Amino acid sequence: MPDGPLEDTRGAKEPGALLRGIRLGFPIFLGYVPAGMAFGILARTIGFSVFEATVCSATALAGAGQFIALEVIKTTGTVAAVLVATSVVNLRYVLFGSTISPYLRAAPARVQGILAFSLTDETFAVNITDLREGRATWRSMAGVGAIAWTGWVLGTALGAAFAGLIGDPNRFGVEFAMPAMFTALFVALAENRRQVLIGLLGAAIVIALPLLQAVGIAIPPSWYVVVASMVAATLGAVIFR
Amino acid sequence: MSDSVVWGVIIGMAVLNFLIRFLPIAAVSRVELPTPVMRWLEFIPVSVMGALVANTVVRPGGEFIVPWSNPWVIACAVTALAYRVTRSFLGATVIGMVSFVIVRALLGA
Repeated sequence: MPDGPLEDTRGAKEPGALLRGIRLGFPIFLGYVPAGMAFGILARTIGFSVFEATVCSATALAGAGQFIALEVIKTTGTVAAVLVATSVVNLRYVLFGSTISPYLRAAPARVQGILAFSLTDETFAVNITDLREGRATWRSMAGVGAIAWTGWVLGTALGAAFAGLIGDPNRFGVEFAMPAMFTALFVALAENRRQVLIGLLGAAIVIALPLLQAVGIAIPPSWYVVVASMVAATLGAVIFR
Repeated sequence: MSDSVVWGVIIGMAVLNFLIRFLPIAAVSRVELPTPVMRWLEFIPVSVMGALVANTVVRPGGEFIVPWSNPWVIACAVTALAYRVTRSFLGATVIGMVSFVIVRALLGA
């Protein structure tokens, strides 16, 4: 693992590696434009301006994290609650980063920074496959990140700018865009029996949490997902040791 | 929605999202994580998604709706099936949204 392809400087300097990455990442672009549009439209309905929605997507690049942020703003309206929720949802990037980092040992810190910034569920999936096949270089990974970022930001700007023309986005089922993406991602992530079991456990716990009120334990609703996923992952680590 | 809340969220998310992604890459490329931590991390993505989906579809807008008359739950099942068949995020998302609109109309919700 430590001898990642990035230690091969010839590979890193190969012209066209960036272009190859952009080509590899193009399907992500196609998916991010409509998802970004959904975010842009929803952000407008909650009170973001076109500029604010676009800046948010350009600097955060956190699909699920951004949708969660909107949800929490709508329900609690406090900055702290939003940041806690989005950070917990994005904790999975700790795993993604840890998985990908052995390949980045030889890369300079600024390159690690760029690749970290463009790390999403989809870019991770594309890059880790490419790395394991021994083809990825940091230039190709930067290409994947760049095209994904472009799709997400472009989609957000379009959705936010034309939110008024589009009218109530919920007519088109836009409010289900986020749950639909998460559902697909869940099925994609649940690759073996253990993962399926722990995922379903997380789902069961989140549904059951309000019942704790009967025994005097009241958890704020904005913490349900955090608490349920922490408990489920911990049980998973304990059961499958 | 005040401007200070919006910008607090934008700046906070930008900083936190970057740190969450960058610190493990910077740190783990130097040290090995203990096995129990790695095992715990392995289950984080799937438990977050499971909890997230269930919380959103079983209690849309914070209110519990029984699954058989809940378009969110029904469309969620359709989406999961669509992803299993097509293996396409885009395809599954679109099929999910379309089925949601149809089921919602059929249920008159």
